[in-house]
Order: sequence, then C-alpha cells, then structure tokens
Amino acid sequence: MNDPIFLAALALFVPIAAALFLLVAAPVRHRGAPAAGVCVTASVVALAAAVRLVFVHAAQGDARWTTTWISAAGKPIAEVGLHLDGASVSMLAVVCLVALCVQVFSVAYMHDEPPRGYGRYFSFHALFLFSMNLFVLAPNLLQAFAGWELVGLTSYLLIGFYFAKPSAAKAAVKAFWMTKLADMGFLFGLLWLFVATGSFEWTTKLAPEVAVGVTLLFFLAVVGKSAQFPLHIWLPDAMEGPTPVSALLHAATMVAAGVFLVVRADPLFAQADATREVMLWIGSFTAVFAACLALVQRDIKKVLAYSTCSQLGYMVAALGAGSAFAGYFHLGTHAFFKALLFLAAGSVIHAVHSNDLADMGGLRKKMPLTTLTFVIGALSLAGIPGFAGFFSKDLVLATLEGRANWIPWAMLMGAAFLTAFYMGRVVCMTFFGALSHKAEHAHEAPLWMSGPLLVLAVPSVGAGFLGGWLAHSLGAHYETHVGLTPIVASTMAIAGLLGSIAIYGRRRDASVAGAIERLDKASMVDRAWELGYRRALLGVSGLLGWFDRYVIDGLMNFTGYTTIEAGAAVRGAQTGRMRHYLVAVVVGAVLLALMGLL
Amino acid sequence: MTLVQCLLLASALFSVGVYGLITRRQAVAMLLSIELMVNAANLALVAFAKYAGAPTQPLVLFTLAITVAEVAVGLALVMLLYRRYDDTLLDAASETKG
Repeated sequence: MNDPIFLAALALFVPIAAALFLLVAAPVRHRGAPAAGVCVTASVVALAAAVRLVFVHAAQGDARWTTTWISAAGKPIAEVGLHLDGASVSMLAVVCLVALCVQVFSVAYMHDEPPRGYGRYFSFHALFLFSMNLFVLAPNLLQAFAGWELVGLTSYLLIGFYFAKPSAAKAAVKAFWMTKLADMGFLFGLLWLFVATGSFEWTTKLAPEVAVGVTLLFFLAVVGKSAQFPLHIWLPDAMEGPTPVSALLHAATMVAAGVFLVVRADPLFAQADATREVMLWIGSFTAVFAACLALVQRDIKKVLAYSTCSQLGYMVAALGAGSAFAGYFHLGTHAFFKALLFLAAGSVIHAVHSNDLADMGGLRKKMPLTTLTFVIGALSLAGIPGFAGFFSKDLVLATLEGRANWIPWAMLMGAAFLTAFYMGRVVCMTFFGALSHKAEHAHEAPLWMSGPLLVLAVPSVGAGFLGGWLAHSLGAHYETHVGLTPIVASTMAIAGLLGSIAIYGRRRDASVAGAIERLDKASMVDRAWELGYRRALLGVSGLLGWFDRYVIDGLMNFTGYTTIEAGAAVRGAQTGRMRHYLVAVVVGAVLLALMGLL
Repeated sequence: MTLVQCLLLASALFSVGVYGLITRRQAVAMLLSIELMVNAANLALVAFAKYAGAPTQPLVLFTLAITVAEVAVGLALVMLLYRRYDDTLLDAASETKG
C-alpha cells in the first residue's frame, strides 16, 4: 500500500466504479438507500487512499504515470495518466474529505426525497468525485480539459436535480450555458497551444505573444468556472440545487477548479505578465463587487454564493499577483470553511423550511451545535486572527502589499471589511435576536448532519497552521509575519463584525438595517447587466436565426425547389406504356451497336 | 448455305421480332415476337457451331429450356393482366406513368 500510483488510481477509479455500477444496476439505484451506501463507501475508500497518499508523497516525493491515449506516427498526440505532486496530492485529499462530509450530510438532508431521486442524487455524486479527481490528477492540459468538462456536466445535473421545478431547470441551463461559453476559451487555448508547440504539457515554453494569447483564453475559462465578473451570474442561480450540492460543487471544489487550473498551469501563466495583470484586476474587482452584493441578499444561500464569488476573487487576484501558492492556500482553507458554512446553512434550512433570512432568527437556543459550527465558519471566512481564513487571506493580501499599484490591495482590504460585515449580518439574523415564527418548531440536526459539520469545523479552525507544510510540499516559501497587512486586515475584519453586530445585534436597528438593505442599487446593477446581456444574446441569436433561416435554409430550399421543378419538366418522358420503353431500348441498343461498329 | 447467309437470315428474323414487339399491342403477340427474337439468336448460335466450329451447341439447348420457362411465366403474366384489366392489351397497364 505504499505505491503512490496505486493509491491515486484507487481514489480515481473507485468512485467511477460506483457511478457505473449505479448507472447499470437500476434496481439498486431506484431503492435509494443502497445507492447512498455504495456512493459513501466509494468515497470512504477514495478518502482513505488520498490521505494515505499524502503521507506516502511526503516520504517518497513526486510521481507520475502516463499511458498513450491518442497514438500517432512518431510520438503520441496525447497521454492520460496520474500526476502526483504537492498540489495534486493535497487537493485530492481536500476534495475527497469535503466530498465525503457532504455525502454523509446528504444522507440525512435528502431523506425526504423519493427513493429514485435519492439514488439518482448519489449516482451523480459518485460521478462528480471521479470527474474532479480526474481533473486534479491530470498530467497534462488535455486530461484536465476532460475532467473540467465532466465536472461542468455534473454541476448541470445537480443544479437541475429538482428538474420539475422550472426555476431549477432554468438555473441548470444557465450555469451550463455560461460555463460552456467560457470553456470555449479552454478549447481554443488548447488548440492554439498544440498548434504552437505540439504539446499539452503544463510546463511548455512559449513565445511571448503566444503565451499571452493562450493564457488569456485559459483565463476566460477560469472566469466562467470560478464565477468571476462578468460571468459570475450563474453562481447565485446555481443555488437552486440541493444545499449540500452547493457546498461541494459551488463553494468548495468545482468552482475552485478554475483557480486550481491556474495553479497547475503556473509555468504557462508566468510567461504572460499581461494576463496576470488582467487577472489581478478582475479578481480584485470581483472580490469587492460580489461582497457588496452579498450584503443585500435576503436568501442565506445567496449570501454565501456571492461570498464564494468574492473569495474566488481573492484567489484569482493572488494568482494574478504571481503567487500561485497564496491562491492555492486560500483555495484550501476556503474549501473547508465554505463547505462548513453551506452545510450549516443547509441544516438551518432543513429545520426552518425556508431560505429567507427573515424567516430565521433566534435559532441559537434551538440548534446550539449548528450555531457553533456556523459561527466558526463565519469567523474563519471573516478572517479573524487564529482561524484558517485569516492566514490564507493574510497571505493573499501580503502578496499584493509590495506592489507599485496599491489599488488592488486596498480593494481587497475593503472586501475583507465587507466580508466580516455580511457574515456578521447573517449570523445575527439567523441565530440571534427574537425567535421567528417559522423557527419555533426547529430542532437540532440529526447526527448524520451534525457529524460532518464538526469534522469540517476542525480544519476551518486549524488548516491555517498547515501553511508551512503545504508550502514545503509545493516548493514555495511561507512564513507568518507581523506587519502592516495582518494588522490592517484583522482590524478590518473585527471592525466589520462589530459594525454588523451594532446594526443587526439583539435589537435590530431598523433604520440603519433598512438603509443597507435599500442599497439594492447593487443588485439593480446586476439586474440591468443581466438584461443587457440578454438583449445582446438575443440580438446575436436573432441575427444567427435570420442567417440560418434565410441564407442556409434558403440555399437548401432552393436546391430542393430546383430538383422538383427539373423533375416536373422531364416527367413527360415516363408514359407508362411498355411500347415506348421498348422503342427506347431498341433505339439505345442500335446506337450502342453503331458505336461499336464505328 | 454459308455462315454469312445464315447470319443474314437470323438478323432478318430478329428484326421481324423487334418490329412485331414494338408494333403489336396484344400481349400474346408480343410474346410471340420475343420467341422470334430468341430463335433468331438460336439460329445464329447453331450457324456458328456448324461453320465456324464454335462450341455453342450446348448453349442452344439451354436457351431452349429457358425460353420454355419464360413462355410459361409470360403466359401467366398475360392471364393476370387479363384478370386485372379485363384486357390483354399491354397499354392498359400504365401505372408507371410519371
């Protein structure tokens, strides 16, 4: 059990075996509970292998195994395989851990589903775990693309899990559309890369202009997948899916795939300063923009969704500033505390049967365990010193501190304040204050749900202390320091929290709170933007439709019409009288004979 | 008789058959015309065997056998034609008109 390749293959192939088994064995899937058992068992095996792999990797170092996928004369066009280094091994462990927690949580959370839906849900989960691991372990960009598209597919399937609900079906299609649009960038980037270098490797050396072009195309895909401005609009809608799905796909792992892609392809991005500049600005802007939107949401899941956009903005900004490690570190800690927040929110929604913050309040006494874990997650996200989120956010900010242009740094500082503020708002409105009407019959979640919360709470607090180890396994340098950034950042976080407690605390200050919620201008911007997008899309679609109808169809119709007319013109030759045909045969035979004679 | 004379006779016979096939409207008469054409061919084959030493005599026997079968099928078709259209004029069957 010390062969790293075997362990990685286990983590990769056990989930797909479970998914295929559930696909084929319809009776098992339709009974629901056994399907959950199969899926969770597969995830346990995958997690065990991933954790063992972390230790084996620490002892034995990097490993790689590949086999030819598309062979050609000379050298193979593409390879598939397993690539094990610090980044993929730790990411694998994070993905498997969060996936297992989410699946165990789902066992209780989805309990009211009919058995068929229950089975379908867990089949999708097994498929997702395989797809994500396929992406994480990819030895080259081509396999990464395959995994990337597969997680996109499972995202679509799981957002649209309640497909009978029109809004869910719409949200699924919207997410698919937006991410596919962005994925065109990945595809064209791959093609360009292959044409230019004949390789799909992560570390190819490129000419400067090719490097900028290719990485910009890849970054387009990242913008879509990681919900960065202006393609972020699918993520809040994706909250139509079941809450555990939001925790796993749309907070912890799948949306972070974009960030992981850049971490992986860092050697390519390092050759393109222009792309990094774009990433820095888009990331910083998204961090602030999404944090503003999170401030005014009434739906607890949408607050968390915009918060995810905002935190992904931090990661992208760090990558843009040239520190892959800072981005990756924040990805790791964010995966834990955001999954925790979503699952705790799921526990609340399960108890109150509503997503609306106004329906919640005073749940502290009814659900002490959920309250405790949610608050831990919120403090970690807000970046209170000592919690995991503080260390990684601090590293991101410190990366930006020394730059000539201080605006991104200031933007992210502002976002840190807003983050603490909106998390304080959610905590106050959900768990403190007067008990709301709907919350009267709430009760603490069963062990299946609270267990994963407690498991995730541990890294949400402590993962920050793993920074040194993670940096070592990635070959980066990391040390904590006391300086301008950590002091300002923690001041911002504490100020944000205190501010929100002052406004939303025990007695909700209606005037100020109302004023903040009337800050809906931001969401008006969103709506206006969406309208414009729709106009643009519909305009282009209309144009394409016209072209299709009148030019392409016209050509087809013209061909058909000409054929019909030509047929009508010569149909007179077909008299139906045998003698006429015989004459034709004789004349033809005579002519042939004459030709033979001449 | 020489080979050329035999062949000329066969050609004349064949032409009479073709003429009959094109001009006659009665299905039975058309069948007879076809018989003429086949026999013209048989005549040519026998002539080749006799004057040029070609091994075509067995072929004539085959042709005769096939012709008998063909006439049987042809007459059956004529019967069907008559049953269907109450007529043995082949022009009655003109469903393939375009």
